Amino acid sequence: MAAEELPSEFDVVILGTGLAESVVAAAFSRVGQRVLHLDRRSYYAANWASFTFNALLTWIQEHHEESQPEEVQDWSSLLEEGEELIYLLNRDSASITNLQVFCYASEEDEEEEAPDTTGEDQGGDDEVKETPETESTDSKKEEKKQKPEETTAGEEEEEVQASQTEGEEPTTAAGQSQSEPTRKKISFAHLVKEGRRFNIDLVSKLMYSRGSLVDLLIKSNVSRYAEFKNVTRILTYRGGKVEQVPCSRADVFASRQLSVVEKRKLMRFLTSCVEETEEQRAYNGRPYLEFLCDQQLGDNLQHFLLHSIAMVTEDTPTEEGLASTRHFLRSLGRYGNTPFLFPVYGLGEIPQCFCRMCAVFGGIYCLRHSVSCLLLDKDTNRCKAVIDSRGQRISCSHFVVEDGFIGADWKREATPTRFLSRAVLITDRSILPSDSDQQVSMVTVPPIAAGCPAVKMVELCPSTMTCMPGTYLVHLTCQSAGSAYHDLSPVVTRMFRTPESHDQESSPTLLWCLYFNMADGSGLEGEGHDLPNNVYLCSGPDAGLGHEHAVRQAQAIFQKILPDEEFCPPAPNPEDIVYDGENNSSSTPGDGETLEGEKEKEETLEGEVEKEEKVEGEVEKEEKMEGEVEKEE
Amino acid sequence: MHGRVKVKSTAQQEEEKRKEREKKLKIYVAARDACFSKRKEGICDDEALQITQQLLSSNPDFATLWNYRREILMHLETVRDEDEVQKIYQAELSFLESCLKVNPKSYGSWHHRGWVSTRLPRPDWARELGLCDRCLSLDDRNFHCWDYRRMVVKMSGVPVDQELAFTDRLIGSNFSNYSSWHYRSTLLPLLHPESPEPHSPCREPRRASSPPSPQTHSHRVCEEQLLKEYELVQNAFFTDPNDQSAWFYYRWLLGRAEREEMISCVYVSRDEERVAVAFSRPVNAQSVGLLLVLDGQPQRVEWRSVHPRFKHSPVWICDLPPGTISDVTNEHNLTVHWTEKHTHRDCALYTGDAHESWCRDSATDQELFRSELSVEKTSVLQSELQSCNQLQELEPLNKWCLLTIILLMRALDPLGYEKETLAHFQTLKEVDSMRSAYYSDLCSKFMIENTILKMEYAEVRVFSISDKNVTTLCHLDQLLLVTHINLSSNQLQRLPPQFAMLQCLEVLEADNNSIENLEGVFHLPKLEEVHLKNNKISTLADLQPLASCPKLKRLDLRGNPVTQTANIESELTELLPSVTDLQL
Repeated sequence: MAAEELPSEFDVVILGTGLAESVVAAAFSRVGQRVLHLDRRSYYAANWASFTFNALLTWIQEHHEESQPEEVQDWSSLLEEGEELIYLLNRDSASITNLQVFCYASEEDEEEEAPDTTGEDQGGDDEVKETPETESTDSKKEEKKQKPEETTAGEEEEEVQASQTEGEEPTTAAGQSQSEPTRKKISFAHLVKEGRRFNIDLVSKLMYSRGSLVDLLIKSNVSRYAEFKNVTRILTYRGGKVEQVPCSRADVFASRQLSVVEKRKLMRFLTSCVEETEEQRAYNGRPYLEFLCDQQLGDNLQHFLLHSIAMVTEDTPTEEGLASTRHFLRSLGRYGNTPFLFPVYGLGEIPQCFCRMCAVFGGIYCLRHSVSCLLLDKDTNRCKAVIDSRGQRISCSHFVVEDGFIGADWKREATPTRFLSRAVLITDRSILPSDSDQQVSMVTVPPIAAGCPAVKMVELCPSTMTCMPGTYLVHLTCQSAGSAYHDLSPVVTRMFRTPESHDQESSPTLLWCLYFNMADGSGLEGEGHDLPNNVYLCSGPDAGLGHEHAVRQAQAIFQKILPDEEFCPPAPNPEDIVYDGENNSSSTPGDGETLEGEKEKEETLEGEVEKEEKVEGEVEKEEKMEGEVEKEE
Repeated sequence: MHGRVKVKSTAQQEEEKRKEREKKLKIYVAARDACFSKRKEGICDDEALQITQQLLSSNPDFATLWNYRREILMHLETVRDEDEVQKIYQAELSFLESCLKVNPKSYGSWHHRGWVSTRLPRPDWARELGLCDRCLSLDDRNFHCWDYRRMVVKMSGVPVDQELAFTDRLIGSNFSNYSSWHYRSTLLPLLHPESPEPHSPCREPRRASSPPSPQTHSHRVCEEQLLKEYELVQNAFFTDPNDQSAWFYYRWLLGRAEREEMISCVYVSRDEERVAVAFSRPVNAQSVGLLLVLDGQPQRVEWRSVHPRFKHSPVWICDLPPGTISDVTNEHNLTVHWTEKHTHRDCALYTGDAHESWCRDSATDQELFRSELSVEKTSVLQSELQSCNQLQELEPLNKWCLLTIILLMRALDPLGYEKETLAHFQTLKEVDSMRSAYYSDLCSKFMIENTILKMEYAEVRVFSISDKNVTTLCHLDQLLLVTHINLSSNQLQRLPPQFAMLQCLEVLEADNNSIENLEGVFHLPKLEEVHLKNNKISTLADLQPLASCPKLKRLDLRGNPVTQTANIESELTELLPSVTDLQL
């Protein structure tokens, strides 16, 4: 695509390949709109992307390197009468912050378990204690410059430390190494070598089996481009232990931790929840916890229902708690014993699937290609055209853009957006080992202390094609209270074995870990800007577990622009599509043969339509003929 | 609008589909005809195999074609060597797999697969088992597959414990599965039999292949395992008390001890020179080798059931040759042998005033009614009752729970729990009104059982069950010796043919019912009084059976429609000449 000029006119130009933008693109393309879909980045899906381990390291590095000051090119030469320029931001710098990486795996492959390794652990210990301090004190810029080399630098330091500590604590070291003599440790080099087996999501979400995304995927036939796996179990962290949450009928039946009476109470509560009752309405506005208490369910069930099934906090109002309980229950059993699906190869697949659908119906895609500014018609306050990063003027009727490209001065809400705290962990085993080592688990971690956020955790096994065999990929997400490290590291150290946590013999060992904050897209609504009225904003990922927010946003944009068109109707079967070639076979020679460019193409298309009508006429004639034949007989 | 994807119109699509179908039908019919003519000519070649395959893959329910295919395969067996036969049959199996993918519930395909599997020179049972498991994981209620699986298990001798684990797995994923529960009920007695047996079936997997016949083998399970099963099934019905499958399994677990087959009663009447014999189950006395020995002399007697309607009956009677026992000064010893079961019962008729004599086991002796639901250990039953009561508190209107509580109470102490039982029946009739008649009948049965028990404790021959809402009569064989029965103020609609088993009955009180049929008041040799006030007897013909009771003297028919009939009195005098006291 590189050197070619793009067509100079589109119906919709979309910048950013996040989920909402991609759905919008597919929806427009599907109903015959000409779509140009651009992304400044070299990869699809923006903050919804999934990376291989190596690509993630590069991404981390890129975020550490502050880009060169934006050269604001002057495009005013392209202005026409009565037009005005609106510059877009060159890069989305605000959405990802507080990146911190910790590597606990040894640098190189080790063939044998030797005291060496425990020394390594000790060394790692020091590293962890040190790094966060330096980072929190360091100014941002410094940190970022230092960061790219951080892991290796840390390792060097570690080795030095290792040799020091080894002599100091030989007894504990020996004890530790004996406790697990046979485990082959996975080194950092090994992770890098097998890096392609990872598909690490920036945002961690699950798909509700009856949520709007699944419905949309089915309705639009986009589901054919992806494969999905059931989340196999719901877990919760409670009293220092990971427990399975019985939520389906089969789970409840098989559960060993519930008494039969609890089983009955739980099942009865779950069935009674499905329908709204007078009794429930009486609790509107009062906390869900209060409602649960009054159901006399007992502590066990109350915990499960509040934290794992409704996934709300103690002060969430009852109607909201019940609504999310119902959402959970409606999705249960459609595909398996939990309400959730996860796309094989990671969540980044989903926006790409919609992009593919868009492309199949004629949408044009360019990565590493952005829009520098919008051309505003002063009279109508509409965006007439955009100027892309190569200086080409492209006219369009509508412009859809990821909100990160829009400067803060255009947004009505000046307040800084909320953030999500994220952690990505690579561990060596499951948090709750079971008969099957291919479990996909959703883990709810209630606030571990007052004032702490509730953490949602997803543990992915290698069969989801998101991590290498022998490892598990763990995603942690919560609403930010402070930095991601501040919010999530207490949970990580409690639930996983890091050099910091000595007493967690049975917990999975942490091999590698990334913390970062991401802007929470849920605050942004399509209306909250002063841009021309044919410019539409799509927000980044929100904190919700499902994809409802993005799908709703995409649908709203589509319906605002084309209120009479169906949103993502089912794609026709390939055999039912009439290809141009078929109808064109008897096309008149010379028609559009030597002509180039959009206008001419349009004409030929119109010509085709006419021809089709003719063909239809012929069919009618044929029918008449048949009628005659019948009469004769 | 331009740029839009063009989709063929639906009419166009329909037309294409129609043409496609026509074309397919033509090919199909042609192939079918070719096949039939080939079979007529007795050709068994590869081509025939191919055509049948083509047809069957589009319609696997064509039984004739499967038959033809089997003919061909059997022919090929005779002309090819073993390796080739193995190959042919393996190809057959994979063909069948494709058929099953099209229709996983085709009788023809599954039957053919069973046939092929048994003829395969070197069968791969593990693969077949895997196929079944895959099939059942897609649809755990495919009974074709269950059947086939049973065959595979039998042929390959899968250990019983492994099969039990298989049911564990299926029940774990979805316990609404009758097949799995039922399969468990056949496996458990093999794996954990009630009494220690010489060879453990675990070590002898072959035994699993031949399920012992119900006659020879106990269906009971050892107590330790039984407790585990109770826990499992309780988990199921606490999780979903409306699922019947678990409750049915639970009833099986609570068990039905098999009753010993025996002659429960022999009754001799000097006056009628008649013998009546009661058995523990309905039999056909004419064919079970019944032998009557009187004072050491085998007698040639004609056994007849109490009512001509019964070929099988628990009570049989015979008349002795006139004069054999009529002399009160003679003592007689009578023995009835049930030769088929190597059992017998004696009865002595003493001199003096004794007009009759009997020998029997009473219902209380046999714990007759408890055995319908009995586990040996009362404490186990008691704790089961407790957990059911617990569930009932949570689900007061659950019919399965109520019914099970009633059954448990009966097993524990039928008389002690009578009041609660009645209350639960009342609730059941309300919550499950569609089956209220069933509950009424069941309740009647239990009330009759209780009355029998009470009568026996009191050692009387009077059976009185008035004003108890009885809707049906049962256990009438237990009332062989009763002389006085009071059924007044119930909801009976008839005195059924079984009523004729009350061979000693003298007084029948059945006022205030809804009786319209007296079929069972038939050849009751001692019946003297019949009270049928306020019933629904409407025609003279309904009274016809009474004519067969020679000693009937008093008859009260007040309040019946039949009394409105013209000339009723004279008609009755003609019909029942023995009646001297008639009330209309």
